[in-house]
Amino acid sequence: MNKPKNKPLKSLLITHGELGKELKAITEKILERRLDMETIGILWGEDGSRILGKIEDFMNRHSGSHIIIFTDMFGGSPSNVCFPFIGPDVEVITGINLPGLLKFLTHREKDIPFQELVRIIRKGAIEGINIMGEYLGEKSDGRRKS
Amino acid sequence: MVEEKVEISNKLGLHARAAAKLSHLANSFHADIFLIYNGDRVNAKSLLGILTLAASVGTLITISASGKDEKEAVSTLANLFQRKFDEEN
Repeated sequence: MNKPKNKPLKSLLITHGELGKELKAITEKILERRLDMETIGILWGEDGSRILGKIEDFMNRHSGSHIIIFTDMFGGSPSNVCFPFIGPDVEVITGINLPGLLKFLTHREKDIPFQELVRIIRKGAIEGINIMGEYLGEKSDGRRKS
Repeated sequence: MVEEKVEISNKLGLHARAAAKLSHLANSFHADIFLIYNGDRVNAKSLLGILTLAASVGTLITISASGKDEKEAVSTLANLFQRKFDEEN
């Protein structure tokens, strides 16, 4: 029997202000290609119902797809507005950073089940946070000043 | 298995854009390709894997490949290092 094919995968990056746009632009420069990723920036004092409307519009345009929403901080408004949309085909990854986005973009074309993919992305994002002195100290390769 | 030692000669070291170019190029070969530095061995096809080397200018890295196109893989990747990832004259 043939393995069931994954649904199309769509992504949305929701952040405070212009952070998402910049993260996307920098990632595009690193990978030297355009990304199929939409961004929503929440401005200070912006009406929450307008944001919800934008997310709903995205969801409606991509119904039937797997959707990953990336947000910049757990507990922040970009994350909180996403809660109503979480479901079997929609997952939210909070606290996204460049390593997490790069992990997503270098793995999205691979034949990986949706829930496994979101865990791989989370791992990539967390592994991208290091204390350099400690990291180089563990390696003991002479690059750290004693 | 084919191996070649290369020096990182671009000023910014093996940074994100360089690692992206390197992993993209490595993915075009069938061979398993690894970068080895000071006992660390990372998959050259993984962008984030390459970044964990935190390799700066002057670092000597061994490119190691095994598979049917191993020779071409090593020489092509070594050439990218020698060209300073096309980011400097």
